[in-house]
This record gives sequence, structure tokens and C-alpha cells, in this order.
Amino acid sequence: MLVTIDDQTIEVAPETTVLEAIHALGGDVPTLCYDPRQAPFGACRACLVGAEGARGPIPACTTPCRDGMTIDTRDVTARRVVTAVVELVLSELPQPPGAHTELAAVARELGIGDGLRWPGASHERRHDERHPYLALQHELCISCGRCVRACDEVQGAFALTATGRGFSANVTAGLDAGFRDSSCVSCGACADTCPTDAITEITLLNIARTTPGERT
Amino acid sequence: MEHRGEITDDDRRIAAEVSGLPEAAVYGVSTFYDDLLQPRGRRHIRVCTGTACFAATADAHVDELRHALGLELGDRSDDGSVSLAETVCLGFCHSSPAVRDGDLIDAGAGVIQRVLMGATRAASEPQWRSVIAEPVLTRPGDWSGLSRTLRESEPEQLLAEVKTANVRGRGGAGFAAGSKWEFARAAAGEPKFIVANGDEGDPGSYIDKYLMEQNPALVLEGMALAGYAVGAAHGFLLCRSEYPRSKPALDAAAVSARADGWLGENIAGSGFDFDVTILEGAGSYVVGEETALLACVEGLRGTVSARPPFPAQRGLYGLPTVVNNTETLANIPFIARHGADAYHALSPGATPGTKLVCFNERFARAGVYEVRFGTSLRELCEGLAGGLVDGRQIKALQIGGPLGGILPASRLDVAFDFDALAAEGCMVGHGGILAFDDQTDMRALARHLLRFGAHESCGKCFPCRIGLQRAYEQFSRDAPIERERFEQLLETLELGSLCAHGSGMPAPMRSLLAHFPDELGLA
Repeated sequence: MLVTIDDQTIEVAPETTVLEAIHALGGDVPTLCYDPRQAPFGACRACLVGAEGARGPIPACTTPCRDGMTIDTRDVTARRVVTAVVELVLSELPQPPGAHTELAAVARELGIGDGLRWPGASHERRHDERHPYLALQHELCISCGRCVRACDEVQGAFALTATGRGFSANVTAGLDAGFRDSSCVSCGACADTCPTDAITEITLLNIARTTPGERT
Repeated sequence: MEHRGEITDDDRRIAAEVSGLPEAAVYGVSTFYDDLLQPRGRRHIRVCTGTACFAATADAHVDELRHALGLELGDRSDDGSVSLAETVCLGFCHSSPAVRDGDLIDAGAGVIQRVLMGATRAASEPQWRSVIAEPVLTRPGDWSGLSRTLRESEPEQLLAEVKTANVRGRGGAGFAAGSKWEFARAAAGEPKFIVANGDEGDPGSYIDKYLMEQNPALVLEGMALAGYAVGAAHGFLLCRSEYPRSKPALDAAAVSARADGWLGENIAGSGFDFDVTILEGAGSYVVGEETALLACVEGLRGTVSARPPFPAQRGLYGLPTVVNNTETLANIPFIARHGADAYHALSPGATPGTKLVCFNERFARAGVYEVRFGTSLRELCEGLAGGLVDGRQIKALQIGGPLGGILPASRLDVAFDFDALAAEGCMVGHGGILAFDDQTDMRALARHLLRFGAHESCGKCFPCRIGLQRAYEQFSRDAPIERERFEQLLETLELGSLCAHGSGMPAPMRSLLAHFPDELGLA
């Protein structure tokens, strides 16, 4: 089937997602919950794009291509919503994300500065640093689900879970007693995929903490 | 849990061993559902914070209980004797406010005093009646539709009849039931399942409660007919823990149906096998969304999944599944017995079939009514339900649940039907009709709805998880709301959210902005 993305047309196999087609053409859109090693999740909504004939922006990661589809990755409405969503995500952290993180990179790409439109409650600081290799900083978790899926789908260790619901949603290991008392096998797949340093390697923690966050 | 009043890690380890789920997954489940999160004293009191109770007291009943017990919502007394929690909603909206004391639900005038004096008593159930001579939904289920179908029709013929009848889903989205059935029937994968959605979470609605508790055989017959048409031999019905009488009523109806040969193997000698499992939820509004419902049926966190794949292709345990609301299924026996033409004739010139509606305590004759589509809201509210009590005037209505727009009293001549209500920024939804009287504080109503929205967000998609929290925070502060920024937030929710919870919560806010801007404290 043929899809057109930003005036370029490409032939794709059935079940190809719009995001995969964008990547196949060498393009990109912001993503936060996407990891090509994992099944699409559809949570972050940062990959919203315009689709001709659709009632509103569509998520590129979970939408399968249809023959004759026309996609606009620079759709003004989609970009406006995505910018607002990422501003909301920044507002839930008690501090700006480290400049080296994926979240900071996405914020820079969208031109989001320091002034957030909807300030409010942020997540409480709570750390698990008892594991020899892995640290969990709950307040930096944006509930993208990548660590849980890396643990379940890639490693098969089933040590992590999403917790809570609504604004209290977070992530934890085992029965919430830390990585050390969970079925964690120390593979590091969670830290590798985390877009914010919520889960990071202990050795990198000091580097992460000495790099001040930047928003622009 | 029942003895200690809270879930411990030992409970979680046992649950993991019994279920085969990883310990982490069990932990995740135990932090998702209200019933599992609220600590319980020896006496556990749950106060309804639904919208009908808000319309009745402006939440004075909640404050009264909090102060008298000296407990905040979600707290347990130090000696473990009593705990107070909130619940949305107990479905006694015809007699608000409502309080659940253990498993006893009391409601109406004097309820708080009775609960505080230890004299809690069972509230009366609502009245129901049909304005239609040959009712579809208030006729007691007698399995005559299934009986006729098994004698006279092939599954394809039943499916064709339901498609011709054009049954629109009654759970809120209004999707054609016949199309869902057709997709599931055509989908590859065996076995297939029927899942009845009895998770009627809409505050102010007690329609499915009526069906599940007063007419459960009709719902089970609808499930069996769906199974016959689709090629499924098993159905699951998920009802709510907030309705403690539903599961026993459904279980009892299933037992009699088995005894009478309407459920089980080789039903009425036809070779068709069908049976049901009745499950109870654990306190989550979003579990009423179909993908979250399936996750809950599987014993997982009730979070929403992106569609496609749709349940008809990959549903319960990854297999083709029809998910229909209980009221939708309750329409099927009539069609099976009388055919699509008779079904169309019920609401001439409007959506085919009939609809159950229910009214809140503000109305003189609150109850469940079976009505024709296309009836004007004025006829429903002033005729059937008798207008408001105590000489109060209707200020506005919220129809179809918390995601429905707010209709001002000046628009009461609108017809109760999908398209007519959509044109007003409202919806049929699930059919609850809530009146707010002339004393209602509309800013307090906005705050009430946003608090519900934020509390019930499943937490999966970012716009809903954070956006509803921010909207609620804005209305919680004693400060003016900056209209432009608020509308930007509403757009983000509408266009960005994964499911109807986040994308639908802005609808009542939009109508409040349109019709009552002066009462919202806007800047």
C-alpha cells in the first residue's frame, strides 16, 4: 500500500504503523513512550500527526497505515497539542529533566521554554538506591511504561510494574521494596530505555546529578 | 484483607502464587482499584460522592460525615473501629444522598443521622415503568427470544436481523452492535467470547443496576443470543462492587437458567452451548471503557489500550471478543422474538428501539423509565418525572454521564436522541438524566466533575493523567480561571487523550463556559 508523508510517497507492507513509515522515509516526530524494541503503547501522545480526512490528530505509533493515507508531520493542530502535552509532562517533575535525557531533547525540539502554562503539584521525591547497579528516582517517572515493557517483553524478568492511577501513577520494582528485593536480574534494560533518569545506573547517577537541567 | 482491613505483602505473595502473576504485577493491581486501596476499619463507611448526591446537597452530606466521625475520606480511626471512604456512585440517585455502611446502603433524608446513630437501614429501590405498551427492556426476561431463535434461525440470520434493527450501543459510544458482532464473527481465532459491560460507573445512572438486579435473565438471554450469532460459547459479565446486590442477582438468574436448560450444553436440544461467568469489579470508572474492562476481567490493572486492535479482533486473552453494554444486550431478546421491523416501529422517525432513562432525586418522580427515542426532554423531565421537588426550577441537565455536556433549561425542547443532543454539545450517553436546580453553584459543579475526572483517570495517557489534575487544581484554588489557558488545556485533553475519559471530560466544561460563563469566576 502507498502512503504519503509530507509530500513524499512510500510503499509499505500491511500492518506498518504511521511512525514506522515516517522513519522509513528518514523523517521523525517526537516520542516519549516509544521504543522500537517494544510493542506500541500509545500513552505519551507526543507522536500526534495530522492525517487527511481525520477528525483530529492521530497517534503515529499505534495507527496502522491505510492505502492512500496522507500524513502531515508538521500539522499545526497536532504540533500545538503535542507542545501542550510535553509542557504538562515537564510540570509534573519537581525539577527540569537533565539536559542529556530524551525528555529534555523533546522539549528543546518543540521549543518549550521555562514558562509552563499549567503549573501545579509535582511528584514527591522518593529514591531507591540500595541496588548495586540500578537507582530508581520516583519523582522523575513520567509513566511512559518503557521500563515495565523492557522488563516484561524484552528481558522476561517481570520485576517492574506500573503503580497507582491518574496523577499518582508511577513505577516500582517487585512489591515496592526496591530493585534488590525484586526479581530484577540487573540487565539494565529499564535504565537503558528510560527517557528521564527515573531509572538509571548508579554509576551514571552522579553524572546525571552534576548536569544541571536545561529547558531551552 | 477482611480481617486486617488492608492488603499486606503476604496477601500479595499469596495472590501472585494463586494467580500465576508476577509479584510486581500483583502490586500494580493492588494500587489501582479503590476497593484495594482504602483501609477498612471494623465498620467501613462509604459515602457516595456521585453527581446526584452533589446535586442534592452540594456535598454537605460528605462534610457532615467527616466532621462527625473526625475522619478524612480514606482514613481509618486509630483504634481501627471505623473507616470513612468515598465511592462513586452507589446508584441510589433517586434518593440522594447515599451512604454504604458495610454492605447496607441507606439513602435519602436523614441518612447521615441514621448512620451516625448506628441505625442504618436499607434504602428503597427505585420505581420503574415503561411508556411503551410492548416493552423491550422492562419486560421480564423469559428466554422466549432465544427459544424462537434456536428453533427457527441460523446464527447468520440472527446477525442479519440485529444489523437490520440497527441497534446502537447503549453504553455511551453508540456504536452499531451488529457491526461489532460481524467483525468478531469474521475474525480468526477460537474460542470467541462475549463480554457484557455491567460496569455502570456514570455518576447519576442506575439503569444497568436496574437491569442486573431486577431483570437479570433478560441480560443473560441477550448474552446467549450474542454468543449464538457470533459463535461464542462463553460469556463474562463484569458488574460493579458498588452495587452489592448485582452479582448475587445475576448469579441466581444464571443458576435458574441452567436448571431450566437455557444455559449450559446443547441448549434446548439445538447443539448450541453457552454459559456465563459473573465477575465483580473493584472500584474504577475507566474500567467501563472496553479495553480497560477486558484488562479488569483478566485480573490486571484497568488501564486503557490503544485501538486498533479492536476487541472484535483481539480481545479477551487476545481472542475475538464482543464487548456490549448490558442494556445493549437486553435489546436483543425483543429483536429475536419480534424481528427488526417491530423494533424499528418502537421509536418512529428516531433511533430504533427504546431507551431506559433514569432521573435523580431532584425530580418529583425519580426512577427508571423505558421511553421512545425522539421524546423531548421537556416531556421526559416535566411530564414523566414530574418536574422538580420543593418548587425548584431546573437550571441545567447533565445527560448520559460525566462526559456529557450540560444542557441549560432554556433548551429543554430538544429531542432525546443521538443527533439532536450532539448538536447541543450533549449526548444520549448511557441515559442518566441529572437535574441541577436553581440553587446550584456552577463553579462548584465544574470542580466536582473535574475532581471525579482526575481521580478516575487510569493514568495511562499523558494528557488525561496530568491535564485533568491541572484542570481540577485550577478550580480548587480560590482564584480566577484564565479562560484562554483553560480552553487550551481542554483542547489538549480533547484531541490528545487516548480514550473517551480524557477526550470527553471537556464537553461539560465547554457547555459551562458557553452557558454559565459569569458563574465560573473567569478572568
